[in-house]
Amino acid sequence: MDKKKILIIDDEPHFCKLVKKNIEQIGGFEVYTATNGEEGIRLAKEIRPGLILLDVVMPEMDGVEVLSRIKGEESIKNTPVVFLTGIIKEEEAGIQASFSGGYSFLAKTVTVGELIACISKNIR
Amino acid sequence: MMENIIFALIGLVFGYLMAILFQRKKASPAYKPPQPDVGQPQHANRSLQQYARPSQDLSSLEERIWYEAELEFLFKFEERLSSAFGFQDVVKRITEAAHDFLPIERAVFLTWDKDSEKFTLACAIGWKSDHNQESLPIGKDSISGYVVHNREFLVVSDLAQEQYLCSLDKEEYLQKTFISAPLIFRNEVLGVLHVCDKKIPGPFSQREVAVVMDIVRMGAISLQNVLLHEKASKRAVELKIAYDELKQMQEKLIQSEKLKAIGQLASGVAHEMRNPLGIIMQGVTYLEQIISPEAEEPRETLSMLKDSAQRADKIVNSLLNYSRHAKLELYPENIEAILENSLNLVKRELKKIEVVKEIQKDMPKVLVDKSKIMQVFINLFMNAIHAMPETGRITMRSFVKELEEAINSINERSVYSFEAGEKVVIVEIEDSGTGITEENLKRIFDPFFTTKEPGKGTGLGLSVIRNIIIMHKGLIEVRSQVNKGTKIIITLKISKEKGGG
Repeated sequence: MDKKKILIIDDEPHFCKLVKKNIEQIGGFEVYTATNGEEGIRLAKEIRPGLILLDVVMPEMDGVEVLSRIKGEESIKNTPVVFLTGIIKEEEAGIQASFSGGYSFLAKTVTVGELIACISKNIR
Repeated sequence: MMENIIFALIGLVFGYLMAILFQRKKASPAYKPPQPDVGQPQHANRSLQQYARPSQDLSSLEERIWYEAELEFLFKFEERLSSAFGFQDVVKRITEAAHDFLPIERAVFLTWDKDSEKFTLACAIGWKSDHNQESLPIGKDSISGYVVHNREFLVVSDLAQEQYLCSLDKEEYLQKTFISAPLIFRNEVLGVLHVCDKKIPGPFSQREVAVVMDIVRMGAISLQNVLLHEKASKRAVELKIAYDELKQMQEKLIQSEKLKAIGQLASGVAHEMRNPLGIIMQGVTYLEQIISPEAEEPRETLSMLKDSAQRADKIVNSLLNYSRHAKLELYPENIEAILENSLNLVKRELKKIEVVKEIQKDMPKVLVDKSKIMQVFINLFMNAIHAMPETGRITMRSFVKELEEAINSINERSVYSFEAGEKVVIVEIEDSGTGITEENLKRIFDPFFTTKEPGKGTGLGLSVIRNIIIMHKGLIEVRSQVNKGTKIIITLKISKEKGGG
């Protein structure tokens, strides 16, 4: 059975690297990382991940814009998105209600156990 | 010899002329010198020239005595006026002066209010009245009304002969002879002084009339001064009150702006903190997985790192909670049930602490977010428990109260008010612990203010509690005495929804 693909888009390379290590340690997942929105969308279209872990506050293109771009790309529009961010309330992130479903919120300080639980629940 | 005859003749002729003059005056409808208006020197001068007093022939002993007496009187009167305190006192001194100096039975002072067009009996000497300090039903058709409206100075030697005045309502005076003198300042009538009934029958002399004119002229200035002073004092008090209110509001606004700025800063800092904290926690997790279970010391170190990172994360959460404008989920709730549930959650911490419950039966429901209010009560219970390390007593009290006066709350989030007479639910949590010093009490709601040891508290407890109460449009107050205990008083609005009663 193929490993399920996860894409992390976060401007903190250290964070990407450590989360990748921790998830892969569990087994069953193949983790890709991108440190900006543009690269993340390109990579998503290429690898078609089963789930995207997305930061909200990023320079140039923020997480909300990345999500809206993903929703506009036919090939990846149904990819589940989990916001992994310093902000954990939707209204604060300015996420509009028009993004129907397909995303959750987790704090960056989440434990690996909680993170895996959330991934398992949402991944395709 | 010849000289004496000539003098006698001159005296006779002069006397005759005076007699004629006097007769004419008596026959005229009323002796009306122009009003003594001190605000208009022209009038004052004219009246002085024509009526003030006869030429001062100081060669006669009688004249000299009168002149000296008059001077002394005016001097004393001026002294008495300048030492008068307040409007009523000036009125009294004017009336007394007229009564003391002139050979009359009574002196009456009526004040005139031009706005309500009413007279008030302000002072009466030699006349017993049931109307003291009352406004009198005296109309324009009275003698006082006539004097005020025509601004005339009336000298009546025999009322029976004054046909015009007789047609006026003269019930207010029972006397036959009188002087009615208006007190006028800058064209405004302040009142009327009535000098009535000569003790020795006969008309008022020109000297007497002149003295009354001097009295009302000096009196009008004094009255006006007192009125201005009273007005200014009243204004000063009003200004002081307005200034105090403004200052209080300003202080509240500064405080709320300060809190708002801190809140924004806290939110930004908290958010930025999460990134490095996330890296630390992910790193610790990774290391935990790869280090062998036998490596005790590295594992212990990692455990300490993890604890510290989690503690830091809790602080960040509190900060975000503090600054967050979260929406409340408001439902009519039973405050007693929330108190009981909160207490249950801290039961294990109570140990030797006794809990006294004083909860009013069948209280109306309050419109609150249950989980938020529970957070408030749990925090308050925990604070109380921390204030009593050995033993003590927590009293949890709740009752309905009708507010005696309106309360306005201005804070960084909202402005709202309670009306006087509004019914509210009061919750009090009181401990018998260490108490809070007066100095600390002032800062108790400031974010980051804590008296706990480093690492024991984040200092966000009471400021978060305050925010939750404010979001509920409620009030929170802390009363404390060192070594006696602390009482937190929370005021909540009663739910107006059905079933709230």
